Amino acid sequence: MTNMNEVASQPGFGTSPHASGVDLGQVAPKMFARDVNFHYNDFHALKHISMDVPEKKVTAIIGPSGCGKSTLLRIFNRIYAIYPGLRASGEIILDGENILDPKYSLNRLRSKVGMVFQKPVPFPMTIFENVAYGIRHHEKLSRADMENRVEQALRGAALWDEVKDKLKNSALGLSGGQQQRLCIARGIALKPEVLLLDEPTSALDPIATSRIEQLVEELKKDFTIVIVTHNMQQAARVSDMTAFMYMGELIEFDKTEKIFTKPEKKQTEDYITGRFG
Amino acid sequence: MSASLYTKRRIKNVVAMALSMLATAIGLMFLAWILWETLSQGIAGLKPQLFTKITAYREEGGLANAMVGSLILNILGILIATPIGVAAGTWLAEYSSRSKLGPTIRFLNDILLSAPSIVLGLFVYTVIVLPSKWLTNGDVTFSGIAGGIALALIALPVIVRTTDEMLRLVPGTLREAALSLGVPQWKLTMQILVRAARSGIVTGVLLALARISGETAPLLFTAFGNNFMTFNPIDKMPSLPQVIYEYTKDPSPDINVLAWAGAFVLTMFVLALSLIARFAFSRSKVSHD
Repeated sequence: MTNMNEVASQPGFGTSPHASGVDLGQVAPKMFARDVNFHYNDFHALKHISMDVPEKKVTAIIGPSGCGKSTLLRIFNRIYAIYPGLRASGEIILDGENILDPKYSLNRLRSKVGMVFQKPVPFPMTIFENVAYGIRHHEKLSRADMENRVEQALRGAALWDEVKDKLKNSALGLSGGQQQRLCIARGIALKPEVLLLDEPTSALDPIATSRIEQLVEELKKDFTIVIVTHNMQQAARVSDMTAFMYMGELIEFDKTEKIFTKPEKKQTEDYITGRFG
Repeated sequence: MSASLYTKRRIKNVVAMALSMLATAIGLMFLAWILWETLSQGIAGLKPQLFTKITAYREEGGLANAMVGSLILNILGILIATPIGVAAGTWLAEYSSRSKLGPTIRFLNDILLSAPSIVLGLFVYTVIVLPSKWLTNGDVTFSGIAGGIALALIALPVIVRTTDEMLRLVPGTLREAALSLGVPQWKLTMQILVRAARSGIVTGVLLALARISGETAPLLFTAFGNNFMTFNPIDKMPSLPQVIYEYTKDPSPDINVLAWAGAFVLTMFVLALSLIARFAFSRSKVSHD
């Protein structure tokens, strides 16, 4: 875990304490993007994005379809790199190191930055194995320690009580909402520092959605969370900071309260009030 | 106005329904006819000795050696084709996206899929049977192994294609989810994707087995045939389709009956394989859903 002093000791930090110029109060940025550009082949999908992600807060990214919000999220753990023809430039600093530097190990990055996707994607294995699978890749644990870790992760994802008696059952038999919480458990089992949520409730019913939202509230005690959502009410409900993106640009980034009550920019206001998007 | 529109639609619907039911009925009728014909013609030959005696006894014999030979040849063919086919299909689906080789190999595989089986038999005859003569001081070297290789060449493209297709049906999000845990590509492929597509891949192998178990042409110049029981894969080996072929040409009606009985057994075997493939394994082709 980082603190303000560590971050401030990084070169370049002193000259621009907050890349996006937004006052985060007393909260240190866990991760920040500086002049990030992204190309899908010839298409310039993200234009000069700079933003700070405060530690142990929920940062929401909103905007109309195709604005680049998911693209930005997918740069934070470099998952985009599995497809040919995509490239990102600029810097994303996590704990003082640039994760876009090819020398930054993907293994390390992905153990520090977890991700949950739009559709729940349990692996075709038992519930227990789903959670243990990622841990096993990064750590050698005894049986008892592993059981402990899996239980912790499932408790952390508010799923333990529902599955504790059927850990050996296939994860594919769970309901959509349970599967999504299992994916969150799988992500937090690696004890990441940042958790990326890419529209985690868009495939779920309202009850499952509200459980996930409560969970996000809980999780921010331990993790720095970035959530992409097309649901503005959701962003207003769960997030501390909100970024509004449009056509590949970061239009406005501020405290959620401010974005939803008195945004600075006309475009933000139009989107919030439903005039477009 | 709208009432006449609905009537028109209803008529069109009835006509389309009737035509498609007719087409189905024609297809099913031929299937039933084939089954009935093989059963009614071969029933006289369906005696215990069909399964216990060998072809050397002619009319007094059975097809035991041909059945055993077919079993060995098919197993050889599947054992050779499955590892290569699954590996190649996996490469196509998971690793070829960044190379231009992928589409080329898919195209060539499709050509192999539709290659006449006799050509594959002649190919194996030329590259395996003839050259290995020097091993035996000039004796002709027809063998079960050569037959198995010829059958493997027929099974291979089927397995490559189904593996490729089944893996590509696995949703991309499953790949992203695993990679986002820091799992490397090979672990993702071996431990998650192949497992997710397992039932589809097994179905492909079973269908390939059903396909090769009826092949005669590729065995003519490779396994050659044998009137005696043999378990030795470097010996000439009999097979059910080949015996059926020879017995059908025979002037003796008693021998013809044996051919029909063999045809019935073979048809039942292939039918059973197809049914197993359909019901036991393909309930969900990609078990992820």
